[in-house]
Amino acid sequence: MNPFTYARAKDAESAVALRRGDAGAKFLGGGTNLIDLMKMGVETPTQLVDINRLPLDKIEELPDGRGVRIGALARNSDAAENPLLRERYPVLREAFLSGASPQLRNLATVGGNLLQRTRCYYFYDPDFPACNKRAPGSGCGALEGYNRVHAILGQSEHCIATHPSDMCVALAVLDASVQVTGPKGSRSISFGEFHRLPGDHPEIETNLAPDELITAVDLPPLPAGARTHYVKMRDRSSYAFALVSVAVVLELRAGTIQSARVALGGVAHKPWRATKAETRLQGVKTGDETALREAAEAELAGAKGYQHNSFKIEMAKRTIVRAIVEAAT
Amino acid sequence: MSTAALKAQSMGQPLDRVDGRLKVTGAATYPAEFHPAGLLYGHLVTSRIARGTITAIDSAAAEKAPGVRAVLTHLNAPKLPEPPNAQKAEGIRLEQRVPFSDARISYGGQYVGVVVADTLEQARFAADLLTVSYAAETPALRKEDALETKQPAETNGEKLQFSKGDVEAALKNADFTRVEQTYSTPTETHNPMENSATIATWESPEKLVLYDATQYVKGAQSIVARAFGLKREDVRVICPFVGGAFGCKGPVWPHTLVAAMAARAVGKPVRIELTRAQMFSGTGHRSATSQRVALAASKDGRLQAIRHQSEGFTSPVGKYVEACGIGSTHVLYDAPAIEFGHTIHTVNIGQSSFMRAPGECPGTYAVECAMDELATALALDPLELRMLNNSPNHPTKGIPFSTKFLGDCYKVGAEKFGWGRRQAAPRSMKDGRLLVGWGVATATYPANQWAATVWMQLTADGTALVRCATHDLGTGASTAFTQISADALGLPTAKIKFELGSSDYPFGPVAGGSNSTATVGSAIVLAARALQQKLADLAVANAESTLYRANAREVVVVGPGRLGLVSNPGKSVSYADVLSAAGLPSIDAEGELKEEKNAKSAFQSFGAQFCEVKIDPDLPLVHVTRFVSVMDCGRVINSKLGASQILGGIVMGIGMALEEETHYDPRTGLPVTRNLADYHVPVHADINAIDVTFVGEPDLQFNAMGARGMGEIGNTGTAAAVANAVFHATGRRVRDLPITPDKLL
Repeated sequence: MNPFTYARAKDAESAVALRRGDAGAKFLGGGTNLIDLMKMGVETPTQLVDINRLPLDKIEELPDGRGVRIGALARNSDAAENPLLRERYPVLREAFLSGASPQLRNLATVGGNLLQRTRCYYFYDPDFPACNKRAPGSGCGALEGYNRVHAILGQSEHCIATHPSDMCVALAVLDASVQVTGPKGSRSISFGEFHRLPGDHPEIETNLAPDELITAVDLPPLPAGARTHYVKMRDRSSYAFALVSVAVVLELRAGTIQSARVALGGVAHKPWRATKAETRLQGVKTGDETALREAAEAELAGAKGYQHNSFKIEMAKRTIVRAIVEAAT
Repeated sequence: MSTAALKAQSMGQPLDRVDGRLKVTGAATYPAEFHPAGLLYGHLVTSRIARGTITAIDSAAAEKAPGVRAVLTHLNAPKLPEPPNAQKAEGIRLEQRVPFSDARISYGGQYVGVVVADTLEQARFAADLLTVSYAAETPALRKEDALETKQPAETNGEKLQFSKGDVEAALKNADFTRVEQTYSTPTETHNPMENSATIATWESPEKLVLYDATQYVKGAQSIVARAFGLKREDVRVICPFVGGAFGCKGPVWPHTLVAAMAARAVGKPVRIELTRAQMFSGTGHRSATSQRVALAASKDGRLQAIRHQSEGFTSPVGKYVEACGIGSTHVLYDAPAIEFGHTIHTVNIGQSSFMRAPGECPGTYAVECAMDELATALALDPLELRMLNNSPNHPTKGIPFSTKFLGDCYKVGAEKFGWGRRQAAPRSMKDGRLLVGWGVATATYPANQWAATVWMQLTADGTALVRCATHDLGTGASTAFTQISADALGLPTAKIKFELGSSDYPFGPVAGGSNSTATVGSAIVLAARALQQKLADLAVANAESTLYRANAREVVVVGPGRLGLVSNPGKSVSYADVLSAAGLPSIDAEGELKEEKNAKSAFQSFGAQFCEVKIDPDLPLVHVTRFVSVMDCGRVINSKLGASQILGGIVMGIGMALEEETHYDPRTGLPVTRNLADYHVPVHADINAIDVTFVGEPDLQFNAMGARGMGEIGNTGTAAAVANAVFHATGRRVRDLPITPDKLL
């Protein structure tokens, strides 16, 4: 771990001010990922700006009385048990509770969860020479290495890492927006625009400016009667990152899908909104597994696997079908 | 000396751990928690290549970093003589290379330097500033690229290449049913909660104290003494508690020598505690194996031939054989023709070593899966096939087992599990959408009893202090030894204090091979008998005593803390009275147990493992929903701790079957999954009901307690039972572990 300075911010304004002009500064929330990476020598901030005392841990109704705002510092465990979220967005609770362990969820914040970094082995362990995300231009260690947990959709030749969050997969189908504030003022980023695909710059993971602070995540209301569900496939029953996960929001009428929102986790550099599948699912009967499978096939048609993760293509198809069938029943 | 059976009073009872309170309150001091005055912290720097040479080291920045006291590498470290290749009683070294002896790199993660600083954080920071340059060569990581391939003749006195009868003819016999398959297991890494650690303190240039997380204090003492040219008694090794080991703390690994080297260089005590990542290369692992098993049976299900060829790996810096054939085919089933052999490939991976039930664990996986395949080929129930081939005789030694209640294990297990309700056809049992599978396998582990000496002191207040340089790895050994001491002395357990974990105490062997209960327990019995003989001699010599002038040989323990006559137990005196009459505050004695070879009987434990799995056919994560284990280990000294040992072994076996795998990067040779997020072991949610039952009788041919060890047998047969259940559930035979969801898609 490198030496760094530590400062504690009182409010969002002072947090942003403390970071201003210090390119090496990072905000410290729950620290469950950042501190771990600092110990590994992957993150080497010069300054930590502790935002834990900012009054950003509330979970409350939006002024419209239907949507909900989750403060960036709400702990994952508190969000999972929050009555408003439980009642209105059960898929989010399912996602929270399938992530990490209770101990980690007690510390991890919602804002920090958005900024979780990949669990790619080659990123996480600096003894490996190549990682474009950790050391731009050094190459991708995973392409020809051990790549079981890696991406099958939207990857580039420079990076095949995945985003590890469960929460974010649910947020993707909830059409959330991320509220941020910075030196130039506050703005709202739609969830689909928040995370980036790796492209030529896998080291840039979000469209958040380096000096911006996440203050909240806003959830618009779900359509009345919408069915939601989160299914996670992993290598053990708990405390493992997703091999593939699927979140769905369905509007049904008499067993027929009126509209579907589907997102995949564990398969791409960002929570993967399965728009091709969504289009195909319109008008499909939830009991018609052949049609559901076809929709999943359409989404995965462009998927590319590697030596150790090709199984994810079939697993993703099956998990999509399962999530829809279970959401509908 | 009488070898009469020890009467069980405390033995068999579920006594709570004598050190349980210390452990749960944090009052138990583990080796890395000692804090000698002036303690400094060392952090090891590891190689980023697996094969090649160090061409340059730039340590200037590290040396200038805050708090740094020393940076040692092969360029400036003192050259130690290579200690001789140790034998069991002289300590265990598997990695033969002395750390920092030259610029050669033979595996990824090899230590290339150590940074010593005032704090751990300073040492780690400075370690990152050490720049090591290499001339890298392409590492040999697979058997196809092995640096050397050998078929060694023997390991630990057991033949590694064995043959009896005409295996080839039996395998070709058209009247016989035959199966032949290859089974593979991956590299698995010991992951005890407590990482390996050593604190080295030089009390003078000739006297060294080590607080070392070890399964073998006497072994560490012996090896470190020879490495540093010291007298054995001038090296003290202290290890009162061990936070789990599974074999990785049996040998002396390089970090222990580095700690002593670094402490000498800075003239202060130095602590080196491995990181979790370093545990994946610096303290051994279970070698990956590939095992070809062929079985032939007559139509009635009797085995006619067994062939078992096993391949494993070792490193360029040491020697180790994963003896799968010795652990399984050697002892499991008899047949007219048996052949087993072992081939070992040398690759650029850290030194392989023994991990809980080495040989037995991967060996029983392969053979017990092959037995399942044979049952399918014969259209026989897999349990019935095993019952048919249960032999009272050791199949390769041709002598009888001292006791063997494997038939009872099968019967009791089948009853408890409900095996009779099993539908034979794969995919025929369901729970809603889930496929249900039931599998069975035989468990086995040898009974080892080596050499030990126990010292015992009885005080006039009626309490006893018992000491041996043995170990409690978290198994509850201290508690079991307290119970054996209590019964051997005829005292309640509350009057016994058992001390271990110090090389100051009389010799105890490595806590390995499930030997400790039998070995140290037998030495306790000898010590108690010697002590009682001294008491009897005092009692019959004392004119005031009711036993005056009685024949001392007829004086025995007749009640709690009382000696009396065999012929007239009412005529008795208390230990305390004997001592006070003799004017002695205490009396002490030693019992020395020598290792004996018994050519008449084979000593071996057996058991039966029954497993139920439930699997979603579309999203096939295997859930082990029920497990029934029935074991014959002779007398169980503590029923609660004994069951915990079996249960823990089963959890580990489930991990082997479904989750554990150390992957190596194909280019650098570094372990990729070297943390507990990526190296999966079972979590609570993976484990459901596990029912452990003991059957059988005390094995009094083996020792006075009738106890055979039970630390390892629980994770033999387990992986096969799970794999066989997976086949029964799905109709898919996965022959390479672990059975992860992708293999069943």
